[in-house]
Amino acid sequence: MNEATWSSGRIWITRLVVVVAFFSFWEWISVTRRVDPILIGAPSGILHFMYQEVFVTHSLLEDFAYTLTATLLAFGLGSVGGILTGMLFVMRPNIEAVLSPLLMALNSMPRIALAPLFLIWFGLGIGSKIALGFSLTYFIVLTNTVAGGRGVNPDHITLAHTLGASGSQIFRKFTLPSAVPVIFNGLRLGLVFALLGVIGGEILASEHGLGGALQLLAASFKTSGVFAVIIFLAMVGVGITFIMSWLENRLLKWR
Amino acid sequence: MTLMEKSLGTVLAEPTISGGPGSVVIDNVSIEFKAAGVLAVSNTSLNVASGEFVSIVGPSGCGKTTLLNLAAGLLPPDVASGTVLVGGKPPVRGNRDIAYMLARDALCPWRTALGNAELGAEIRGVPAEVRRARALDLLDKVSLKGFENAYPKALSQGMRQRVALARTFGLDSPILLMDEPFGALDAQTKLQLEDVLLGLWQRERRTIVFITHDLSEAVSMSDRVIVMSARPGRIIADVPINLGRPRSVRALQKDPAYHELYAYVWTKLEEGLSQ
Ligand SMILES: Nc1ncnc2c1ncn2[C@@H]1O[C@H](COP(=O)(O)OP(=O)(O)O)[C@@H](O)[C@H]1O
Ligand SMILES: [Mg+2]
Repeated sequence: MNEATWSSGRIWITRLVVVVAFFSFWEWISVTRRVDPILIGAPSGILHFMYQEVFVTHSLLEDFAYTLTATLLAFGLGSVGGILTGMLFVMRPNIEAVLSPLLMALNSMPRIALAPLFLIWFGLGIGSKIALGFSLTYFIVLTNTVAGGRGVNPDHITLAHTLGASGSQIFRKFTLPSAVPVIFNGLRLGLVFALLGVIGGEILASEHGLGGALQLLAASFKTSGVFAVIIFLAMVGVGITFIMSWLENRLLKWR
Repeated sequence: MTLMEKSLGTVLAEPTISGGPGSVVIDNVSIEFKAAGVLAVSNTSLNVASGEFVSIVGPSGCGKTTLLNLAAGLLPPDVASGTVLVGGKPPVRGNRDIAYMLARDALCPWRTALGNAELGAEIRGVPAEVRRARALDLLDKVSLKGFENAYPKALSQGMRQRVALARTFGLDSPILLMDEPFGALDAQTKLQLEDVLLGLWQRERRTIVFITHDLSEAVSMSDRVIVMSARPGRIIADVPINLGRPRSVRALQKDPAYHELYAYVWTKLEEGLSQ
């Protein structure tokens, strides 16, 4: 177990070798038809598709823009709604006592089952995708806001009382700042789930967006194209996580 | 207000003693948490004069914190009987005459040392430049120059309690109530902070009511040490500490008079435990 730690250069090189070996093997079994390319596509096909759709027809970028717009709207509305509701619950426990069980019941519904309803209400366009993303983000951010608001240090409240702090001072100077890290965790998850909801909605019914593209490509057995979109999505996911971590480190450097 | 009105009806016909600014008068006070069936403090009277440094010692659970909370107006109105006057007025929550310091530092982790030192004055509406200047001066006095912009996570426990001291002294209140402020510190750090506290107090001579379970701390810093019995807490000794001023807690450790007083207070405390 007392293995010497590799340098980061060595780790990167080894990682690269593993990846290249993996894709070479994939290409080889596909080209030699040891496995049907309909099932697994081929790395060369994926690269070709990516190049075509990104640099020539731009269609992947258009789909990405569509999905991103829906995701950001769902995330924005869901997190503002979740934070406001959460704050209301923290400040007015009676309102929470009344509404919380109802909201939790709503939240426990499988969201994809609501998708057909959202299609009826908001149409086949971007509206139903935003609704689906919102319905996921809202509850995650709400739960985290309430948890954060509850987590205020009782010593801070005692101190605030001896200082004669008003209710709004207690909220602004103690409750809110101490809740921010927990709310931030909610936002990070909320963004991932907004993307999930939008993609799900697009797969169910859309000609636009990355989800729509996935659905279309799969239906016509363009397997390399499906893989290309999935890889693109994975990169978007990594990008989201990276941006949120960067923001968090900047905003919460006191931690 | 409500407390005094109630007390007039229940225990005293008229408040017989009236304290001036900076004084704390506790007259025939009992505190009972009826819901829990706990009589925490029983028939206790104590006068603290303006500028006096008084320590209260007593076994854990004897009502020391409760007594401070009563003076700070933190208790619900119907648990206490008797008269309490803080700076001549009945206790109210948020009384500007009082600065309160807790055992845990209660620093805000999202504020720098300077931001924390300013916090109390900020909440009480002191203008930004005034409170900042005062906080900077106090951070210097508690030997935290150079740490103004450090966040609490980067400070040791002793340093954090120094910031809490700066926050407490940053208020212009004539009365400081301190509930075991050094209780969580190691012996060495404690000695240092006791001298820091004495230094701050000797500059301005504000009233301090200091709660501790550490007898040496009480004897070495105070003008008087009040000994309380086990619950329900009563005052069983009020010992004047006739050691010179200004004092240094560390220098006192070699003073025979100090050790005599310590032994005397110790006997009293033992009597209280065995009753
Ligand atoms: N809000 C409360 N309700 C019921 N009992 C309490 C309350 N606050 C304190 N007590 C009880 O009063 C007694 C004195 O407590 P405290 O003043 O904290 O003691 P200490 O001298 O250790 O500071 C304890 O027995 C405690 O359990
Ligand atoms: Mg206590």
